[in-house]
Amino acid sequence: MLFVLAFREQAPWAKSIRFYVQLALAVIFIRVLFRVIFNLESTPLYPVLVLPEINIDVGFGSTLHLLGSMSSLSLQSAFTDGLRLASIILAIGMANSLANPRKLLKSTPGALYEIATAISIAINLAPQLISSLNRVRKARELRGQSKGMRALPGIVIPVLEDTIDQSMALAASMSARGFGRQGSRTRANQVLVRTLGLSGITALTVGVFLLLISPATQILDLALVVLGVILTFLYIHLSSGRSLRTRYRKEPWRFGDFLVLTITAAILYASFSGVLSL
Amino acid sequence: MIKLKDLSFSYLKPDGSPVTETPQLNRINLEIHEGEFVLVCGPTGSGKSTLLKALNGLAPSFTGGLLSGEIHFDGQNLTGSQPYEYSHLVGYVNQQPEGYFVADTVIDEIVYGSEQLGLPAAQIQSRLDEIVDSLEIRDLLDRPLATLSGGQQQRVAIAAALVAGQKVLLLDEPTSALDLAGATEVLNILSNLAHKKGITVLLAEHRISRVIAEVDSVLVVHGDGSVTKGKPESQFNDPRFAPPIIELGIQLGWNPLRISTEDAGKRWRESEHSTLDRKIQEPSSAIVEIKDLTVRFAETSAVSDVSLSIFGNQVTAIMGENGSGKTSLCWAIQGLGTRNSGSVILANTDTAKLAKDSRLDLIAMIPQRAADLLFLHTLAEELEESDKYAGVEQGTTASLFQKLAGRIDTAIHPRDLSAGQQLALVLSIQLAKDAKVLILDEPTRGLDYSAKRALAKQLKMLRAADRAIILASHDIEFVAELADRVVLLEAGKIMRDSAPTELLGFGSPLASQLAQISRTPGLISIEQVLS
Repeated sequence: MLFVLAFREQAPWAKSIRFYVQLALAVIFIRVLFRVIFNLESTPLYPVLVLPEINIDVGFGSTLHLLGSMSSLSLQSAFTDGLRLASIILAIGMANSLANPRKLLKSTPGALYEIATAISIAINLAPQLISSLNRVRKARELRGQSKGMRALPGIVIPVLEDTIDQSMALAASMSARGFGRQGSRTRANQVLVRTLGLSGITALTVGVFLLLISPATQILDLALVVLGVILTFLYIHLSSGRSLRTRYRKEPWRFGDFLVLTITAAILYASFSGVLSL
Repeated sequence: MIKLKDLSFSYLKPDGSPVTETPQLNRINLEIHEGEFVLVCGPTGSGKSTLLKALNGLAPSFTGGLLSGEIHFDGQNLTGSQPYEYSHLVGYVNQQPEGYFVADTVIDEIVYGSEQLGLPAAQIQSRLDEIVDSLEIRDLLDRPLATLSGGQQQRVAIAAALVAGQKVLLLDEPTSALDLAGATEVLNILSNLAHKKGITVLLAEHRISRVIAEVDSVLVVHGDGSVTKGKPESQFNDPRFAPPIIELGIQLGWNPLRISTEDAGKRWRESEHSTLDRKIQEPSSAIVEIKDLTVRFAETSAVSDVSLSIFGNQVTAIMGENGSGKTSLCWAIQGLGTRNSGSVILANTDTAKLAKDSRLDLIAMIPQRAADLLFLHTLAEELEESDKYAGVEQGTTASLFQKLAGRIDTAIHPRDLSAGQQLALVLSIQLAKDAKVLILDEPTRGLDYSAKRALAKQLKMLRAADRAIILASHDIEFVAELADRVVLLEAGKIMRDSAPTELLGFGSPLASQLAQISRTPGLISIEQVLS
């Protein structure tokens, strides 16, 4: 976490980490609060938190217990529950603030270029949406509106139109500068490559899923995974092989990049060995 | 280089029928030579952009519509191709580069096109070196795009459009968002590219007075579907888009018309002229009192310690380079904008403390992106809503709009209006409320000369009705015609506060075109010249 703070760049997407941290903290707090309010424990042996108990008769012969005494164990389990969700949120947040969407676009293999472009445009749209929302809201206050007019369309419509205009403008600019060229590739070749890619990913997903749900490893599952890997590699190799694009300069590996990878590997190793030892 | 045969283009309604009876471009035949510098002009909304977009496939690919006829580049028939199939031949630069940038840094942005075309890295390097030197942007290469000035951004956009060795450059109003320095910077580069590097340049512009002397030919998109091409001297008989220098020539009966400031200056000195003094309206009472106003964003101050009284019965122009604080000052005066200290008193109340409704009754403001104020589905609905909100007789806004923009089918969607028409619409909506103070932030952006004249006329009428008009602008000719007082901002501070005849007069860096031609102190606007 500290590491992410140290290595993020001064850019709009990097600032989003604050929002993620706030969200994660809120999740933990709400989880604990709910446990305190909807207390399921009947009088614990060693209460750490003693609150008056409220019993509400909800009919059908059952009562709803609210508040009441809490044991440290109960609080702790609520906290861990919250922590679990919070860490997922934080992980996504950290990935989001470390990755520069435009650099990501440049580093993807040719085969995934179209998908990567779509994703990077989508990521870029979020901050744009916020800035145009602010602008339009301010502009709307300059005009005012007659009674009986709903306020929402007045803001939503210009913002949406703005966003669509902007993305169309970007797409037009990319197209005018050569994005989307198919070069010498034939139609049949394209179909073959896409089929390869799709079936590879499907085999891989189904294989991994089977591997994870079945208690004992089956030969068939393993074969499916291997097939998936082979097909996917073939796809990436084939479609990147006849390169239509060149890269003027490659992104250099920096110290921070290695550190991220090392830490990630360490965490993966730790959690897997933990799972295996169970 | 470029050859058009019977080229027609029409926009289509959702049901597939054309929007207008005559196509926007109707059976155009023309030829453009290699290295020709062509100025594309015409009234607002006539189809200049459409013509440029048709030349690289963006129309109809990205605009929709129906194209017929043939487009030849260098002997190749490229009719009906996608934009990327033109990309090695034609570069395209737009009005607002920031929305079109693909990368973060200057160097990545410039090389993007050649990467897409698959040029080998060594070739990219040599092209990059060449283009960077001819556009003088070498020291910008590693800068993030967002930190560049508007003029620098446009130069980068031009470099990016030409880096793969494109021989044709299309530019759609590249200077309309730039101040004088930025515009001059871009226009100089263009004439250099055309005349020294042999690039064919097609430039759509409203600000024609400063390029007209540089171009080889002028292409006029008339708006009725026809397009004509010819020498600059012969193309400007339509007063709707004639720049002041042509207007002056017509008024004085010069034959042939002079298109460069130097030639016009020589011709001017050949005969005697009777001129009027530039009329400055006497200020009535002070309507807005600005005291020690400071606006800061993060570390930088956009406006610092500005004190100013704005008078009724006057147009107060605020000039200054991009980033000098004009927009921040406008918003702070209006009351909605950020303010760190100081006060703006209007009708005994600080504008920031006014209730929303009474603020709108007192101050009307037109922001830079006027279209943000439009949110209904048809022009008719917008006009009706405006009348209703302002509590005026039905049709008031519509008649204001017609004065500014002419007669327009009210079933049209406001987003389909041209930039100038949208501005006219927002202006009429804001004027309908008849506020005491009117603030306009860069209102002449994207307007042709006839639309500017209509706007000036409207503002003069409001001034005569004892309104206080604040006009932030870098349009020198417009300010020269209209302003009674010019405040020059530099880095958020007031540098000059003087009569327009001083700041825009002969010898000043902001001299108007007539001041440069006549070299007569006090003479800045064509209205002063008697025929």
